Amino acid sequence: MKRRTFVSGTTAFAAASVVSPAFAASIKPYSWDLTPPTDTRENFIAWGKARGEDPAFLGQRWDRFQALVKNKDIWGPATIRAFLLTPREEFASISPAIHKRAYEHAFLDIGYGVTMSGPHIQGRMTNVIDVKRGEKVLEIGTGSGVQSAYIANLTENAYTIEIIAPLAVRTRALYDKLIDKGYTEYKHIKTKNADGYYGWEEAGPFDKIIVTCGIDHVPPPLLQQLKAGGLMVIPVGPPGAQRVLKVSKTQGADGSITTSREDIYGGKIVPFVPFTKLDGDKIAGTHNR
Amino acid sequence: MTVSVDLDNRPSLAFYLSVGLVAGSIIALQIGIMRVFSVGSWAHFGSLVVSLAMFGFGLTSAVMCVGKGWFERHWQGAVKGALLAFGPLMVVCNLAAQQVPFNAIFLISDPMQKWRLLANFVLYFMPFLAGALYLGVIFLKAQKTFSRVYFADLVGSGLCGLSVLLAMYFFKPDDLIMAPLLLWLAGGVLWFVALGDRRGIAAIVGVAILAAAVHFAAPPLLGIPKLAVSDYKGVSYARKFPDAVRTYERASPFGYLEVYSSSYLHFAPGQSDNAAFNVKKMPSNAYLGLYIDSEGPSGVIKDLPADETPYFRYLPMFYPYLLKKDPNTFVVQFGGGISTAVALKSGSKHVTVAEGNPALLTAFREDKGLRDFTGDVLNNPKVTVIDYDGRLYVAGTRNRYDIIDLSLADSAGLSSPGGFSIVEKYSYTREAMSAYMRALAPDGVLSVTLWNKEEPPKSVLKLYATMVAAARDVDGGKDIARKFYVVSSYLSTATVLYKRDGFTPAEIVQLNAHTKAMSFDEIYYPGFKVDTSTLPQILSDYRDQFFFAGEQADPTGPSEKEPNDKPPPGAPTEVKADGAPASSTQAGPIVPATVLGRLAWHFLIDGGWQEKVADQYVFDTRILTNHQPYFAAYIKVGDLLKFTDRLELVQDEWGYLLLWATLGIATIFALTLVMFPVIFGWRTIFSRYPGKFGTMIYFLCLGLGYIIVEVGMISHFILALSNATVSASVLITGMLVFSGCGSFFSERFLDRTRTFMPKIFLSIFLILTLYAFTIDYALDWIGTLPYALRIVLCLLLLLPPSFLMGFPMPTAMTTLGRLGKDHMFLWAWGINGCFSVIGAALVPIVATSFGLPAVVLVGAIAYLVALPAYFSVLMPLKDGRPAAA
Repeated sequence: MKRRTFVSGTTAFAAASVVSPAFAASIKPYSWDLTPPTDTRENFIAWGKARGEDPAFLGQRWDRFQALVKNKDIWGPATIRAFLLTPREEFASISPAIHKRAYEHAFLDIGYGVTMSGPHIQGRMTNVIDVKRGEKVLEIGTGSGVQSAYIANLTENAYTIEIIAPLAVRTRALYDKLIDKGYTEYKHIKTKNADGYYGWEEAGPFDKIIVTCGIDHVPPPLLQQLKAGGLMVIPVGPPGAQRVLKVSKTQGADGSITTSREDIYGGKIVPFVPFTKLDGDKIAGTHNR
Repeated sequence: MTVSVDLDNRPSLAFYLSVGLVAGSIIALQIGIMRVFSVGSWAHFGSLVVSLAMFGFGLTSAVMCVGKGWFERHWQGAVKGALLAFGPLMVVCNLAAQQVPFNAIFLISDPMQKWRLLANFVLYFMPFLAGALYLGVIFLKAQKTFSRVYFADLVGSGLCGLSVLLAMYFFKPDDLIMAPLLLWLAGGVLWFVALGDRRGIAAIVGVAILAAAVHFAAPPLLGIPKLAVSDYKGVSYARKFPDAVRTYERASPFGYLEVYSSSYLHFAPGQSDNAAFNVKKMPSNAYLGLYIDSEGPSGVIKDLPADETPYFRYLPMFYPYLLKKDPNTFVVQFGGGISTAVALKSGSKHVTVAEGNPALLTAFREDKGLRDFTGDVLNNPKVTVIDYDGRLYVAGTRNRYDIIDLSLADSAGLSSPGGFSIVEKYSYTREAMSAYMRALAPDGVLSVTLWNKEEPPKSVLKLYATMVAAARDVDGGKDIARKFYVVSSYLSTATVLYKRDGFTPAEIVQLNAHTKAMSFDEIYYPGFKVDTSTLPQILSDYRDQFFFAGEQADPTGPSEKEPNDKPPPGAPTEVKADGAPASSTQAGPIVPATVLGRLAWHFLIDGGWQEKVADQYVFDTRILTNHQPYFAAYIKVGDLLKFTDRLELVQDEWGYLLLWATLGIATIFALTLVMFPVIFGWRTIFSRYPGKFGTMIYFLCLGLGYIIVEVGMISHFILALSNATVSASVLITGMLVFSGCGSFFSERFLDRTRTFMPKIFLSIFLILTLYAFTIDYALDWIGTLPYALRIVLCLLLLLPPSFLMGFPMPTAMTTLGRLGKDHMFLWAWGINGCFSVIGAALVPIVATSFGLPAVVLVGAIAYLVALPAYFSVLMPLKDGRPAAA
């Protein structure tokens, strides 16, 4: 088992290293003033092309952005900006099998028994915690790295922890590569390979915590490292049938602390598997038919 | 070389032994493949692959039927070829299948997965084809003495089935394939001994050594896995933790048990979020992870020092200890030991704990590491261990308990990508619940905690309805409104407390204060008020999640297939005319599942549950009974087809849906294979055979009837034997051996079957009908006896129907042989095989829809229908050859 994972991992690295020199330092560096247009598809693609990105993926990003807004997965201007600035294809490039599927409404296998969640769920989780610039945000479960990439467009203080050592190394290397390429926003992300259950005490407390891996209870250290009035989102259940909990921590007038739980889908099942089939940059039907 | 063996005239003992062993190795291979799938990926797909692989028999029959002449001329070569190929194919195909692992959770999202599943099916089909060819040719050659060969076939299968279960003690799942390989080798050698073929003996021994060498040497040399465990199985995660150490490992028929230690393993099943702010010292490294067949983890808790035990207050199983001081406690299922630890540390003066899995008891009683870690909990002087199901013990004992606990005995409930098994949960049935309720001492409390991780809620609604139904069976169902206290935590756990004497107002105050301190949600207590006006909206919202049929207001809006979710909390719900988002703030979080739980209790207690809630709810909420003991099959049968284009929404139902898929695929395969010779030879080979249709019905009924009774009885007998593996082995061995004896015995009546067989069919029908309605009572009683005696009595129960069920197949086959209906002989064998597959797939569907008695009844009816059809079998050939009867 391990050997197979290792082989596929190295293949992905090899593929990535072949591709990367062509794009090195080709992206216009990040600034908080970058504002991708939200009026038309053409304007957005032209703007993105000027930043140095691939028009085919920009088209897919726009189409998915439209779907996200329609489904109310993202609504705040900051989150919309973050979504439009984040190149999911770069994070899916670790495996040739999923590279072209980066914008699908699907969870994708990235190896190590870990999946990259789809854009709808990631968009919604990001918007629900409503990150303000300057806030400290902790992500548990770096995985593919794309969730923290969104956060990096919202605040300078993104922290992310990955438990699986080789995956942590791989994603850190990917961030470094992307920073070299011009995606300097990823300098906002501090990474660590550790057991996320214990949080990141030295860096805490955090305004928001976003957990992207499941467990049978909400880890007490994370609740402790969450500021009073803070929010946490945490998925529950096996891949493919997860619900996402929103946990709010509130301090009463008497100083007592309570928590409450709700569901970011209002009790609706989170459909992680693809509904839509992208043909080039067009939604061309569904995978089920 | 010339071989002088006449299979129709007294072949040697070695010949019969060979048939028995090779037939046994086929059944051993089936069990082995199922185990490989259970440990490596997902048991359901193991059943699917094995079921379809059994069509090797159907295909062989169809091919032999069409090419009968060739097989008769070259029968020795065919047998030799099949035999020499069977063993190596087992090993090579198994190894190859492990290199194309298929992952159920990506079945829909990854187009490659269905090809991988197909590859698995094709690979595992090959060895069965070889095994079936061996048996088919031998049956063809021995058709006039079929009952004896069939006797060898059945008894061999039965005993070898038992032997492979014993082999599970010696071989880990990666090497279990050695069991069928050894049986095949023995059977093969005996075959060549029977023929006096020394070169054959040398060849098969050589091939066997080579096959074993490939199995053991190829994986390390090529760096490939012997058994590929999916990355998404619980144990795969544990194995990746940098400090993971496997501290215990034991293979047995009760599962492949592994225990891992790692600082990365965290448990606290159902723990209150408030523990984070209130527990001074959280226990660290408090758990080991227990995995059975790579599934898990279940937490094994260490013996906590006194300053860390306050943590137990924050677990849902602590509730009854709020009310009872120094209780005499009964823990229904030991599992990983958390309930037992809570009971001991919360002041129980004595704890009686039951566990039906002997492998767990052995581990905790004998392994030094586990004993040290748990403070030797099972040998604690305050603890009495019951080594069988708690449900059976409680039903039989005169002891009474202050607290009875049934809490989260299963694993953390996280790692079941692809669905939950259709397994019998007799501990949660109405009968079991009322037994727990009756075993309470005055003022005693029953506490049942279940995972509440489904949204829409499914299991918890079944639990609620079952417990209320059970309470109505106790003390005439009086005052049940006072007897329950229910809390849940969203996407965590739900706990139902039952007090036979009713909760006092003071107790309710005490419990409510604790619930508030835990930030759990109150679901029900005496006097709890619910706003029932929200019910229709909630029910229709839940239904709309799957079957939204409203108009598509915006033509550019998301299509049906696009996500169309409710806005999340905090999102603007609608846009005002001036373009500004409307305020979306609400008083507090509204969680539909929690509200539905409250409504469920209201209608369960006050009446109206069935028509107002259950009938309208999108999922099935029928209670668990000894006849339908399933936390599964939630999709209502009427909705099945509607879900076929939205499978991704019901991934946890795939286990159930796969049963339907298996049934569908099996039916298509079976009919194709059965009709193949008929269509090919309708004008030629079949034209002179009378009674074709009746004969087909006859063998169809036998194929269906036998397997339905066998598989259905396996589920039934768990009632007495507490364990699915033991039940399966007792049933397989008992039924096949007794039927083998019946087959052997049937030879004596061959000259008067016309009058004798109707009596047999009627007897089978009557016995099975009687069993369908009464066997539960017998099994419940047997379950309270010592284990060895239970097995003996179960076998005795099986003897009468199984013995008689051994008659119809060989009698009819021998009759066909003696009448010279050779093609039909082969065809009949194929029909029987094909419909066995359908029958096996049918059992869980009938059981979940109509209950286990219905399963046995369907089997009984099949034998009744076979009665008139038997006379078609007896019809002599038109050319006037004499009939045997």
